[in-house]
Amino acid sequence: MKKRLLLITLVCALVAACATPTAAPTSAPATSAPVPATSVPKPTDAPKPTDVPKPKDMVFWTQFDEKNLDPKIDSFVGNEYLRATMPQFNKAFAGKWNWVNVQRDFSKMNAELITAVQAKGDVPDLFQISLDINTFVSNGAAQDLTAWASAQPWYKDLDSGAIKACTATDGKLYCIPLSVRPQVVYVWKDHFPNGYPKTPAEFIVQAAALKAKGVSALTYFGSTDGDGNGITRGMTTIMASFGGKYDDGNGRMLLNTPENTAAIEFMREIVAKGYVTESSFVGKFQEEVAFKDGKAGSFLQGLNGYLFLNTLTAPSGKKYAKGNSNDLPDAVAAGDAYLAAFPAPAGKTPGCNLAASGLIVPVGAKNLEGAREYINWIMTPDQNPQFVLGAVGGFPALKASLSNPSFQTPYFQQGAKVVAASACRPWFGTLTKPAVAQPIVMTALYKLIKEDPKADIAAALKKAQDQYNAEVK
Amino acid sequence: MKGWVDFVLKLHDMKKQKWFRNSLPFWLILPTVITLLVVQVYPTLYTVWLSMQDREPAGWIFVGFNNFERLFNLGQFGESVGLTIVFLVGHVLLTMVGGFFTAFLLSQKIHFSGLFITLLFIPWVLSQIIVGFMFRLLVAPEYGVFSGILLDPALFPPNGLSVLVAPPPRPWFGDFPFPTSAALGLLILASTWRALPFATLLILAAIQMVPLEVIESSRIDGANGWQIIRHIMVPLILPALVVVIFNIILNGINGVGLVLSLTDGGPGTATQIISYLLYSIGWSRIQFGRAAALALIMAVVNWILIMGTLRVTRVEERDI
Repeated sequence: MKKRLLLITLVCALVAACATPTAAPTSAPATSAPVPATSVPKPTDAPKPTDVPKPKDMVFWTQFDEKNLDPKIDSFVGNEYLRATMPQFNKAFAGKWNWVNVQRDFSKMNAELITAVQAKGDVPDLFQISLDINTFVSNGAAQDLTAWASAQPWYKDLDSGAIKACTATDGKLYCIPLSVRPQVVYVWKDHFPNGYPKTPAEFIVQAAALKAKGVSALTYFGSTDGDGNGITRGMTTIMASFGGKYDDGNGRMLLNTPENTAAIEFMREIVAKGYVTESSFVGKFQEEVAFKDGKAGSFLQGLNGYLFLNTLTAPSGKKYAKGNSNDLPDAVAAGDAYLAAFPAPAGKTPGCNLAASGLIVPVGAKNLEGAREYINWIMTPDQNPQFVLGAVGGFPALKASLSNPSFQTPYFQQGAKVVAASACRPWFGTLTKPAVAQPIVMTALYKLIKEDPKADIAAALKKAQDQYNAEVK
Repeated sequence: MKGWVDFVLKLHDMKKQKWFRNSLPFWLILPTVITLLVVQVYPTLYTVWLSMQDREPAGWIFVGFNNFERLFNLGQFGESVGLTIVFLVGHVLLTMVGGFFTAFLLSQKIHFSGLFITLLFIPWVLSQIIVGFMFRLLVAPEYGVFSGILLDPALFPPNGLSVLVAPPPRPWFGDFPFPTSAALGLLILASTWRALPFATLLILAAIQMVPLEVIESSRIDGANGWQIIRHIMVPLILPALVVVIFNIILNGINGVGLVLSLTDGGPGTATQIISYLLYSIGWSRIQFGRAAALALIMAVVNWILIMGTLRVTRVEERDI
């Protein structure tokens, strides 16, 4: 009886231990999608001649989820793209590769990949990158693709800006660019009927007239949200238009320059005079609302903005309310909106931040062959445009893809003119740790422009650059 | 011979039974021990190791206490500590006062007290993220519930109060971030709202343990309500109050969901309390070594608070 009781107690304790809630381990990341189980063939099973070989999984981390059918979600267009494209790939490589998509949260996926690589956990075969490449390189997370990529037939057709965005400070290529997303200014024609101002002085004059009508001239991502994410958006376009940048060309941060100071003084003036929406500094993408409602005259955003800026109301009251990625291009085609470059002082070229969306092959990827075949499959004039239009927006990295009819619309034609008239480059330049630089720079700029407009610009910029340079010495 | 064999077998059985009896507690707790080793001990040891590493493209390199040194030299660290202190003082004060007042009311014989307690618990079951978004919707410019009132220059001269954007006022004591910014004040309110049910329930339980005879005797002796609360009730429930304070501080130090959804550390760095700084260093800047160092510092603070709580509860048990 005693023995039976002891045995029951032991079993209960084992079951209780297995049911104990456990915290997530700090190293190996969990995959959100189950990987299909592969059955191990029994030794007695002899493969029949008619058996179709089971394809090997090619695991791809993206920000999209092909199983999410919610039409209201920001990533709806990308989700649809995956639903259409994954079967195409699997059919093209039937019996060889099986595309397994693992959706990751956009704001955390970079850190999750780097964690997986550093902890030697479950690393995908391909990773969709949307931000700076240097962070992956400095953390040893991306494979050097220079030799392989330059031997591929599509390499010569790549846009030079796209190659640059995927090239790290050591001169090597660590990602395959699929699209480039320059920053542009979206403008409501009713508020700027004579074209967007070309110089800061013109901007101030026109902004004053708009303010008298109760309209803000500009809205942009000016908050410190996302740990300084604003620096990858409009903020750099503004600074670069005055000739400003953040590095000295040799990997060290240099903020305290006359050009940066001039840009900050301009921003201080227009913010103080109320020409910029208050929501520009609130965060959570609230700055978009003012442009979508027609209450802001212009909006600094990436060329992929059409993916998210939907349900628009022009200043005239006309609605573009399909609720999808056609709304903004429709508004441009109808002439209610247009694209423009940011004003630049005389003698300066309008600047713009250039972000590339592409593919990384992470260190530790198991299916290198599958990853390379996927890259070759998508880097064709058929597939590249689909990815760009369907998933990430911007211009395709392959020049041949530009002849696709989808890029001949007024929206993209105007975008091409803006880019041709601007000096677009990645914001991080030669900085080796952009993820560290981002919050430092954006916080400094935010405080100088909005929080304490009387603070000494030179002292604050010097303090910020010294902080970064001390971090990376 | 058979007898000898029987004797040896019987001896072997007896030894086996004795060994099994003596080692049984070990086997019973072994699953729990393994679980604790995997989810607590190993991560702790790994964090200690990580706090002394820095990452280069080729791999990890040992840097000793360099991460700790760099952390202390980081200007933002000092600011975060200051903001955390201000946040905790405000959060604890408001929660304790609100919790005591609510618990006192509920301890009186009022109708539907059960319903009130049930309703009171709604904030506690909401996640930090949801609470953060709710409070943000109250004050968001242009469409917030209270934005019309807050942005009225007549009520908040000269230009109204944009809670999520208003810069912090000039500090009174050097660089110490006091008075708080409006955003930090909102964060304190939101976290107090969420923690109130927990504090109320614990204080209510403590109040209900106070002997009625003591209260009645003091009334007979002429003590008024405030005197009863101050000189009778509070001293009797003081150990419970201390436990509540420690728990509130622990939750306040470690929670980051509320900050992320309400202000995302902004405006500027006005709400970058220490838990947010840890998240930022680890997940945004991807400096895992530095983040591990900060996590260890926070663990030490948490440990001190937990030891304090245990000490107070042990004193309370001894007194009983």
